[in-house]
Amino acid sequence: MGELAVSGTVGDELVAIGLGSCIGLALVDRTANVAGLAHVVLPESQGKTEPKAKFADLAVPDLIGQVVEAGALRRRLEAVLVGGARMFSVGASLDIGARNSEAVREALGKEGIKIRAEEIGGNRGRTARIIVGTEVSSQLAGGTRTSLLSLAGGRVAARAGASR
Amino acid sequence: MTGRLNDMQLDALRELANISSGSAATSLSQMLGRDVDLNVPKAFALPLADAVDAAGDPAQEVTGIVLGVEGDVAGAVLLLVPPDGAATLCSLLGVEPGSDVADSALGEIGNILGAGYLMALSSMTGLSMMPGPPQVITDLLGAIVASVLAGAVGHGETALVLDSELDITGEPCAISFLLLPDAGGVNDLLAPLGLAEASA
Repeated sequence: MGELAVSGTVGDELVAIGLGSCIGLALVDRTANVAGLAHVVLPESQGKTEPKAKFADLAVPDLIGQVVEAGALRRRLEAVLVGGARMFSVGASLDIGARNSEAVREALGKEGIKIRAEEIGGNRGRTARIIVGTEVSSQLAGGTRTSLLSLAGGRVAARAGASR
Repeated sequence: MTGRLNDMQLDALRELANISSGSAATSLSQMLGRDVDLNVPKAFALPLADAVDAAGDPAQEVTGIVLGVEGDVAGAVLLLVPPDGAATLCSLLGVEPGSDVADSALGEIGNILGAGYLMALSSMTGLSMMPGPPQVITDLLGAIVASVLAGAVGHGETALVLDSELDITGEPCAISFLLLPDAGGVNDLLAPLGLAEASA
């Protein structure tokens, strides 16, 4: 929760387990085989600064920065969204799931990044998984894995830190 | 509450949880007609992510029973029951596990435990804490706990988790009972004990 991971190595696996109202935000550069996954918990930071990945408004720019640093080209970045479920029908949560997915969409829109695929809403928990160079997938608790975006066909990864 | 809780505060909260869960155990015992054992609760105040991990394996499928809490202290009460435990509770109540009636039955158990727990806390602290209707959800532990924490604690950096384990004698059924006060609620619980932070 509130964490992010980035990889430029084909075969690496990035996972966000147990996304209920949280959003698993995947940013990928399919050509360079670079991917990042953030586990977003709340829509706005409201003045907080850390951890960035926790808040949609901070997670998006932060994840962009980190995947670019790992070798992705900003203009090639595409997003996949998983989660944002309404886990409970009443109570103080005020459908955090919907507010989270809206906030992530808005932040991505501001950065000009297209959402390629998504599995959002409902009322079941999900696990988001990126296998770099293979796919971005979503899996419901007890269900089968659904591939949301194929990552195959990229060229050999630019290693993190290599000069471009 | 912005800072970390010190040992004295955690001890006080653990003691509150201890006494409250004793009351809850008695209620459950009466409902099921079985002896209910109570393990000394763990009290931890951790950043949200760590609190989810401390509650258990996020990938484990569990049944969660959530009750919103309103009043002087707001937040949520969350009971976590592993699948075999949920089946045991159902059969003890004479309902088919996994059926719609099962969810109602589990909700009822949540209601009774939650109300018992909150009533005891209320009388010890002089603070009102009223449970809302229970919601039953079977899903990944991580998804359930994170969603409840996000709703109950929100921008609080620290999640306060008071974890009591109720064991029903002769039946394998460990129930984790978590009291998740919102950011202001932690301070409110400590104030009657004279242990609140200087700045509210």
